[in-house]
Amino acid sequence: MPDVILKNLPFLLAGLRLTVEIALLSIVGGTLLGLAIGVLRYLRIPLIARSFDLYVVFMRGTPLLVVLFSCYFGLPALFGHKTSAYWAAVGGFVLFIGAYLAEDIRAGLRSVSPSLVQAALATGLTRASVLRLIVVPIAVRNVIPTLFNQYVRLFKFTSVASVIGVNEFTGSAMLVNGREFAPITIIGFVALTYFLLCFAISLVGRTLYAHLAVRT
Amino acid sequence: MPYRFDWAPIWANRDLIVDGFLMTIALSALGLCLALIVGVIFGTAGSSTRRALRTCAAAYVEVMRNIPLLVHMYFWYVGLAFLQLPPFACAVAALTLYSGAYVAEAVRSGLGAVPRGQRLAALATGLTPRQSLLYVVYPQALRIITPSLASLCSQLIKDSSLASVIAVAELTYQASAIEGQTFRTFEVYITISLLYLALVTVVTYGLLLVPVARDRPMQGLSDA
Repeated sequence: MPDVILKNLPFLLAGLRLTVEIALLSIVGGTLLGLAIGVLRYLRIPLIARSFDLYVVFMRGTPLLVVLFSCYFGLPALFGHKTSAYWAAVGGFVLFIGAYLAEDIRAGLRSVSPSLVQAALATGLTRASVLRLIVVPIAVRNVIPTLFNQYVRLFKFTSVASVIGVNEFTGSAMLVNGREFAPITIIGFVALTYFLLCFAISLVGRTLYAHLAVRT
Repeated sequence: MPYRFDWAPIWANRDLIVDGFLMTIALSALGLCLALIVGVIFGTAGSSTRRALRTCAAAYVEVMRNIPLLVHMYFWYVGLAFLQLPPFACAVAALTLYSGAYVAEAVRSGLGAVPRGQRLAALATGLTPRQSLLYVVYPQALRIITPSLASLCSQLIKDSSLASVIAVAELTYQASAIEGQTFRTFEVYITISLLYLALVTVVTYGLLLVPVARDRPMQGLSDA
């Protein structure tokens, strides 16, 4: 490894740790949010489903950077309570990716064949149990590839948190660059690291899908 | 403390917002055209019968797709600072190469979805390989991938907001500037969110209306 990288490695790794942390929190939070909204929209509960439609359309039509700015600068103005850049970023990522995941999960839920649902209902299961035991597990396992695509997207998106002042991997790399001025080396290192990690996430997705996919 | 909305400062700065909106449109339009060209080239290479071409295309797609767009932008703007490229050119280059990889993947899957017999039949009627690709295979592939192209297009428009980080005066950049002067945070970001939403909606639905994309394959047969 080049000297510039070696010398600043502890600092860069601290940034990378922050990136992974933000990504994991947002993935878990976003998946839970997406699952909740996806199921609510699938069930077509009047009014609630409609308002979440609005949320999904709005979020999917807005750039991530604008969502982050709104969370970081806007929410404190609205509630009179200052959030740290870190939590504003996590909140923004969860809200943003949640909308995409909700849409993917709803597509998965709708792909579960109706006759399966009717058969389950006919055996005497309640509607809630049918949803919990049959529809959601099958749907989630079927959309694993799409979910992991979104996770890769999210992992790349975490770099945008540097714009609102979170010193995650990209942010700390640019700080190092400001001090050392070796842009090609540093940006090359950053790009390579993101590439390897994103590739790893896709590999995990492919492996999980190979093991869990529902074969009918 | 309830937040009191005040839209007057936004209206006062409408010139900046319009400028930014036009810049966003220019950036996205140029990025999209170039990304389509790059995407068709690498997508065609990716579905080629030659292994070397396929490997090249796959390498391009994987490398470009797995690096954050922000890092692409920094690469052109900071990494290649000695070239002194204007920020707009850096943003276009980053958007083109990044989105081009997604387009390439869509084109490749579209070409793969056109039945093999179509190309063989075209060749059998005496069309040259280039003609059969151009007049028979590409149009059918285009119909298949129009929905994913539309969503890539809306993706690109939203991604163009990252150009504000490297000082391209597009919509998000102007919004930050207005926010910094007036502190009407919510009003500014709601305004530009709606503008982005409108642009994305118009472009997405507009693309689905393109005649070649709308026609069903084989439709002509049932009419005849």
